[in-house]
Amino acid sequence: MAPLNKKIQKFLKDSIRVAPKISKKGELAELRNGLVSPYPQTRKDAIKKTIQQMTLGKDVSSLFPDVLKNIATNDVEQKKLVYLYVMNYAESHPELCILAVNTFVTDAQDPNPLIRCMSIRTMSMVRVDKILEYVEIPLRRTLQDDNPYVRKTAVICVAKLFQLNQELCIELGVLEDLVSALDDSNPMVVANATAALTEIHGVDPSVVSLPKLINSHVSQFLLALNECTEWARITILGALADYSAKDSLEAQDIIDRVSAHLQHVNPAVVLATIKVIIRNLPQIQQQNFKAISLKLSSALVSIMSTPPEMQYVALKNIRIILEKYPELLVKELRIFYVKFNDPLYVKLEKIDIMVRLVDATNLKQCNLLLTELKEYAMEFEPEFVSKSIQGITQLAIKYSGEKFVSKALDDLLELVDRTENLKDDCCIAMCDLLRHCPTNEKIASDICALLNSWAVPESSLISDAAKCNYIWLMGHYPEKFTDLEGKLDQMIENFVQEECMTQASILMTVVRLHTQLPGSTLQNVLEMATTSVNEIDIRDMAMIYWRCLSMPNSDTLVDQLCKSVAPIFENALDNFSTETLEKLLNELSTISSIYFRPQSVRAKRYVLRQNIVRGKRMDELKDMAKNEIAKNMNDDVLLDFGDDEPKTSSSGNVSSNLLDDLDDIFGFNSTGATTSSETKDMQSSTNKMNTSTTNTQDLLNLF
Amino acid sequence: MASGVYFCDIKGKPILSRRYRDDISISAIDNFAPLLFELEEESSVIPPCLSHRDVQYMFIQHEDLYVVAISTSLQTNAAQIFTFLHKLVAVLGDYLKTVEEESVRDNFVIIYELLDEMMDYGIPQITETKMLKQYITQKSFKLVKAVKKVKAVARPPTTLTNSVSWRAEGITYKKNEAFLDMVESVNMLMTHQGQVLRSEIIGQVKVKSRLSGMPDLKLGINDRGIFSKITSDVVNDGEPSSITSGKKKLNVELEDLKFHQCVRLSKFENEKIITFIPPDGDFELMSYRLTTPVKPLIWCDVNVQVHSQSRIEIHCRAKAQIKKKTIANNVEILIPVPDDADTPSFKYSHGSIKWVPEKSAILWKIRSFSGGKEYSMAAQMGLPSISGNEKPKFKRPVQVKFQIPYFTTSGINVRYLKITEPKLQYKSYPWVRYITQSGDDYTIRLN
Repeated sequence: MAPLNKKIQKFLKDSIRVAPKISKKGELAELRNGLVSPYPQTRKDAIKKTIQQMTLGKDVSSLFPDVLKNIATNDVEQKKLVYLYVMNYAESHPELCILAVNTFVTDAQDPNPLIRCMSIRTMSMVRVDKILEYVEIPLRRTLQDDNPYVRKTAVICVAKLFQLNQELCIELGVLEDLVSALDDSNPMVVANATAALTEIHGVDPSVVSLPKLINSHVSQFLLALNECTEWARITILGALADYSAKDSLEAQDIIDRVSAHLQHVNPAVVLATIKVIIRNLPQIQQQNFKAISLKLSSALVSIMSTPPEMQYVALKNIRIILEKYPELLVKELRIFYVKFNDPLYVKLEKIDIMVRLVDATNLKQCNLLLTELKEYAMEFEPEFVSKSIQGITQLAIKYSGEKFVSKALDDLLELVDRTENLKDDCCIAMCDLLRHCPTNEKIASDICALLNSWAVPESSLISDAAKCNYIWLMGHYPEKFTDLEGKLDQMIENFVQEECMTQASILMTVVRLHTQLPGSTLQNVLEMATTSVNEIDIRDMAMIYWRCLSMPNSDTLVDQLCKSVAPIFENALDNFSTETLEKLLNELSTISSIYFRPQSVRAKRYVLRQNIVRGKRMDELKDMAKNEIAKNMNDDVLLDFGDDEPKTSSSGNVSSNLLDDLDDIFGFNSTGATTSSETKDMQSSTNKMNTSTTNTQDLLNLF
Repeated sequence: MASGVYFCDIKGKPILSRRYRDDISISAIDNFAPLLFELEEESSVIPPCLSHRDVQYMFIQHEDLYVVAISTSLQTNAAQIFTFLHKLVAVLGDYLKTVEEESVRDNFVIIYELLDEMMDYGIPQITETKMLKQYITQKSFKLVKAVKKVKAVARPPTTLTNSVSWRAEGITYKKNEAFLDMVESVNMLMTHQGQVLRSEIIGQVKVKSRLSGMPDLKLGINDRGIFSKITSDVVNDGEPSSITSGKKKLNVELEDLKFHQCVRLSKFENEKIITFIPPDGDFELMSYRLTTPVKPLIWCDVNVQVHSQSRIEIHCRAKAQIKKKTIANNVEILIPVPDDADTPSFKYSHGSIKWVPEKSAILWKIRSFSGGKEYSMAAQMGLPSISGNEKPKFKRPVQVKFQIPYFTTSGINVRYLKITEPKLQYKSYPWVRYITQSGDDYTIRLN
């Protein structure tokens, strides 16, 4: 029997041919051989290997003709592979795709919807006019296809075509087909058509009137909403959010119809629903407001148990919503407590939200938050700790009772005592508190006592803002510091190396205290500021001070400049302008809502709000001040300045700790203008001086 | 709307990409790695959305991968993109078992095919694995359960664009069963003294459906919001009360109910009835959240005494504050110790303790912890006699993990699960299990 067995084996071995395998090396020659191999399995394998090489970044475009030969097959899997390959080169080597155009057209009529889709999808991506010319008939046909899967693909192809060749797209008239797809019986087709129209509208608003279309399809949208996939829901809800209801009845109806989606598992659907509701909220009747806001707040809270990226988007959006509806989440403070394993970017946003949503009339809640923030300040991530300390100040100023402020201060004092490297943040925070309660003797002496105890202030403080605050404090409470001169001298020693905020602060303090300091100090600082500093503003400032000081009766003038009282620091949280806020509310859940950069503002030069740190604010202020100076320099009518002034001061509220600096700048501003005009008109100098001082007085009275 | 989706390795270098639109250059992704790197240099706050020359990079991290979506428009729906990226990873997970650099490299072709179906022109399309499996032709290398190769030519299932887009027709099982798992995860933040600062219960109802045809299911649970007719004045005072023993029916009020897309939301909104046609296999039917204050289920009284430059002493008493008959399984208590502590010595009565230097903590494991019991341990570790540079003191909380079977903290339970299949009319068997476990944030702050 054995030999027979062997014989059979030999026979089998000879008669069965094994499809050769393609090695993993992926050499072009081997792949080419594989692609034209008589064995289907080998060919398929070769296509896969080719795609693999393509992904690894190798240029396999030379195999294009060979791969393309494999497109004519009944095997869907193989066809798909070829399409994957073609799609990739459709972008980089469009000219090659010409070779495939006939296959595309045939495939667009294939009985299998999957293949119809693939062909139309690929065709509409190739950037060759020749191919686009062929697209007309297949596209038209697929737009009317029986199969909704094909239709939903075809409507998107219209948007693709539009982006590639607008004229052709309009000429073909497929846009009308697209518009009529909004009335399709299948909700997914409706959603994709909406997405495509939104896309086209974004490229050229004159081609389709999207708002009108949305207006006329609201009822279709509301119907389709209940029956489609999560992504389609997002698209449709997005369209609904662009619609303004005619009256309160309709607004209420829309809210009722969409609010079931607040319970969808997909957080993006929830957020899209929130957007629709927020849009309609201003129109509804007051008695319904409460129930809706309850639903809203519970939906927002629910997003806090989704992935961190989603939480981040939600937190940014909550920040916007809270500004319009501050009472919305007021009961949900605890939800925003920082979790130990939250990513840092979420933690920071949470602190911001907590301080914003806390009810400033509710002492218990404020106390709770204060304890919590203090706990955070004892963690180890430096950014997190800084933000918590900043939060403590913001909270104290928001609540605003002197008792509470002292309590916050005690916490800060305890924190500094506990950890060495919090000095910077605490110094800024405490000075902010003091600006809020400038008259409270206890707070002032507590802070000064602590800062006075720091032996080498210029080495214990690192950041520009902290040093600036420290020196400001010395300038305002000189009597509470021991060895004031020595401490100032230490700072002055490094004057040239310091950053501009500190420099400005030193300059002002030295001028303010010039009667108590030896004359050489003042001379020294003014000289350094005018000669060795690169910052033009500091130079200008020093120059003006110098001129003021060298004028007759300079003492009263400088006195008046220095005695100006900064407005009380009322709000440590920055707010959007009404206009920005309204725009942002319409752009919830978009990227622009994360950056707080509404679309229309983008065209203008706009500083990223997120990144605005104190230093930048200084720049802004300086720019403003500079403009103002330039204006006043050219303008002899000094009183014009008074008109501009309130505007500047309102934006000044945004800045947290520089109000008095600003104030001082105002001071030298007007005198600066006078001094310049004074050179022109020497004779009436005393006269002018009087005007200027009264003007300064007027300015200060405005506060 | 995304212009492209990229899989990048841990260094931010792209491994696999799919561009959906040509409004970004091919090299746009090359800016991602330097951008990320630059930001990491600057600070440790890395937001998931970066911007570079008007190109927006939105990314999530998964294992050793960055999954990045690029967009050029600020009007792009960021929430949608992030959810899509997470969903994409989940779907790939169903196909590849683990989604990491290696498995992505091994499965280029199928990922391309999936990316092609899941998103078109940057607009998310279909992300249900069960449906995708029916017309994705490629097989992956690590597919858990190889899909039966359909002999018929693959074509998009007709149900795909129907209103029931998550279930195929013609499913049959010999034995028709539905399994319901009610899982509650307790997140709690406590102070050292035992005061509860924050507590929430996140509940999930997971279903495994092995049912033929197109069954219609109706679920009844004892939620007050759902069955408002039954009035009950039971105040859930946090005592993990028994569900069955009490004669009065306990009703709990669930917040933030979230449903799988198969649940008829409008029906729930109007009539408060949960009805649905389930997808085949495993899925999460609903989730909810409860903020009713709860007493700590496992409480640890931890005392740490630091004798600087010589040693640190830790005493811990753990107590299971649950009913006598219930048992907490796999209890793990992670107590932080300073980075530079070493030479540990432990004294304990139950479980096992080890020092985990890479986490700078000691881990106390108790396999089963009966209700009402109290165990304690003491540990001592040496501290280096020379203190290095004044390092900031790290304040980390004690973390506790546990599982308690046959028990829900909220007291929620299933009243009924009715299964009707109008055509086949088979007999079916619903099964229900309950479990309470620690959530990802069950922590006790130290002094």
